[in-house]
Amino acid sequence: MFRTLLRPVLAVVLLVVAAQPAWAQEKSGTKEGFVLKQGTAKILLMRPTIKVGAQSTGGMFEPNADWTQQAKDNLGAALSVAQTKLGNAVIAADEPVGQAAETMADYRALFSVLADSVIQYQFFPGNRLPTKKRKGVFDWTMGPGVGEIAKGTGADYALFIFDEDQYGSTGRKVLQVFAALARVPVKSGQHSGYAGLVDLRTGDLVWLNADQAMGGDVRTPEGAQKRVAQLLEDFPGSTALAKSAPKLASK
Amino acid sequence: MRRPVAAMLAALVGTAVPAFARDVPPSLPPYTTAYQPQGVDERGVWMEADEMERGLRDSKTLIADPKLNGYVRDVVCRTVGASRCGGVRIYVVRDAEFNAFMTPNGTMVVSSGLLLRIRDEAELAAVLGHEFAHFELRHGLNGFRQRRSASDVAAWAGVIAANATTYRTAQTMQSIQVSAIGSMFAFSREQERQADLLSMAYIKASPYDPGCFADIWDRMLNEGDATAHGRRQRSKRYDRASFFATHPTNIERATYLRDLAVDMHKPGEAPREDDAPRYDIAMAAWRAQFLGDQLKLNDFEGTDYLLGELAKTRWTPDLLFARGELYRSRGNPRDLVSAVGFYREAIAQDPTNAEAYRGMGLAQLRSRDPAGGDALKRYLVMRPDAPDGAMLSTLVQ
Repeated sequence: MFRTLLRPVLAVVLLVVAAQPAWAQEKSGTKEGFVLKQGTAKILLMRPTIKVGAQSTGGMFEPNADWTQQAKDNLGAALSVAQTKLGNAVIAADEPVGQAAETMADYRALFSVLADSVIQYQFFPGNRLPTKKRKGVFDWTMGPGVGEIAKGTGADYALFIFDEDQYGSTGRKVLQVFAALARVPVKSGQHSGYAGLVDLRTGDLVWLNADQAMGGDVRTPEGAQKRVAQLLEDFPGSTALAKSAPKLASK
Repeated sequence: MRRPVAAMLAALVGTAVPAFARDVPPSLPPYTTAYQPQGVDERGVWMEADEMERGLRDSKTLIADPKLNGYVRDVVCRTVGASRCGGVRIYVVRDAEFNAFMTPNGTMVVSSGLLLRIRDEAELAAVLGHEFAHFELRHGLNGFRQRRSASDVAAWAGVIAANATTYRTAQTMQSIQVSAIGSMFAFSREQERQADLLSMAYIKASPYDPGCFADIWDRMLNEGDATAHGRRQRSKRYDRASFFATHPTNIERATYLRDLAVDMHKPGEAPREDDAPRYDIAMAAWRAQFLGDQLKLNDFEGTDYLLGELAKTRWTPDLLFARGELYRSRGNPRDLVSAVGFYREAIAQDPTNAEAYRGMGLAQLRSRDPAGGDALKRYLVMRPDAPDGAMLSTLVQ
C-alpha cells in the first residue's frame, strides 16, 4: 500500500530533480559466437507481458485496458510476420495447468530478474560486474532446468517479451511546455521493453535486446510492426551475414 | 491570495475533515454480483490487478491447502453474505507480517502472520470484512484517481514555482505541493477508516461479536510496544498519524471501533469462547509453520509477547516449543536455562515431540550439561531420517 502511494510522490519529486538520463548505455548483447541458423529454429513465444496506458500530468502511469489489448493483438501479428520472414517457426506457449503452471511462473519470474540484471550489470558500463568486463563476453544462464517449460513442444528456443508504453497525456504535454520555460526538463511518455532468447537445451541467454526508448505506436498495426522491428533489431540471424565476431551493439 | 488557493486546493484534493461526532456504521450498499469494471480508469486498474493475480495464482508463496483456504472463504461468506463473497478470490500467502490486502478486482490476500495473531473466528471476520469493504467501496479506483489529481496539482505547483518571479509565489506553490502530497496519504487514511466502518456494518449483520475488532488493535499496540522495547526504540503507541501514514494509528482504530461496538449493543450469537476452538482447529495443521516463520523475524520481545498472548492461561506444547526455540536462539546462558525448561514442559505434555528433544539437547550441550547428548540421541532415534542427523551425530560421540 505504501509503495503505491510513494510512486506518484516520487514522480513529482523526480520532475524537479531528474534531468533526462542520456541513454549512453548498450542496449543489446549476443552470446559469444552464437549464430541462429536461418530457417531452422522452432521458437516458443512465452506469454508476453504488455502494459499500455497514458502518463498523467503528474507523471503517473494510467493503465488502459483497450490500448493494452490492441497492443497485444498488433504485436502478436507483427511478431509472427517478422519471424516467418526469417524462416523460423514461432509457436505461442499454451497456458499450463497444475505443477507446470508453477514451473512456468517460476521461470517467467527468473527471466525478468535475469533481464534486469543484464541491463543493470552489463549494459550499463559504469555498473559492470568484474566478470562481465572482458570485451565481447555475454555469459548469462537460467540453468538447463528451463527446458521443463517447453516439454512436448519440440521448441529449441524460448522468446520472452516485455513491453511497457506510457503515452504522454495532453496535460503532460502542456506541462512539458511550461516546464521548459523554466528550463526544467519534463519527459512526456515512456516506451521501454525487452526481448530475450533463451536456449532451451542449455538454459543460456543467447540474446537480449533492452531498449529504453523505442518508437512505433503499438496501438496501430503499422506502429506495432515498427516496434517489433526495433525489438528484434540485432536478432541473431536477422542479417544475411553470419556474425562470426561477438557483438555488443551500442546505440 | 491565500484564501482562494486554499479553497482551490481543498476542492481539488478533497481534504478530510476530522469527525468529532461518534461514528455510525453505514447501511450496506446494494451489491451487484459479477460486477464488471466501467470506464477507462476502472478497466485499467482491473487489468493491472488481473495481471498481478495471474502471477499470484502460481506463486510459490501461496499456501495451497484446500482445507485452510476453504475455512477462510467460509468466514468471509459468513461475514459479508453468500452473494457478496462470490465476488472474491482468496489467497493465503506465507508471510510472517500482520497483513491482508485487497486489489480492485476482488483478489483478497491474507498473510499467514495475520492468521497466527488472530484469536478467534470473529476477529478474522472483522479483518476480512475490512478488506472486502475496500473492494465494495471501490477504494482501489478512487485512490488511484485521487493520487492522479493530487500529483497533477503537485506537478503544476512545481512548474509554477520554477517559473515564479517572486519569492512569495514560489513559496506558496511549494506549500501547495507539500499539501497535495500530504493529501494522498490523508485520503488513504480516510479510506481505511471507511473500510473499518463498513466492516462493522457487516459484522452487525453477521453472527459475530462486534467487540472483537478493537481487541486486535489493542494487542497490536502491545506487541508494537514489546518490539520497540526489545529494540531499544521509543514506543509509538500515543503518536499521532504521521505525514506519510497510510492507515490511522492503531490506538485511533481501537478507540473508534470500541465506541461503535458499544453503540451496537449486540453480543455475538454464540459467545466468542465457541468461536475460538473452531478457529484453532482450522489452524492446527499450520500453526507450527507460522510460529517457525515468526521466530525468524528476530524480534525477541515482540515474539515473546505474542506467544504469551496465544497461550493466555494454557501453554500448549507447540507454544512451549516455540518459546524454547526463541530463548535458545537469543542464547545468553540464562536463556539456555529457560529454554531447557520450556522444552522439558513441552515434552512432558507431548512426549512425541522430537524437535523439542533436539532443542533441549543443543541448549544443554551449550550449557556444558552432559545430559544434552542423551536428548540428542533420543532425537536421532525418533527421527532416523532427520536432515541434520549426520551433523548432530558428531556431537554425541
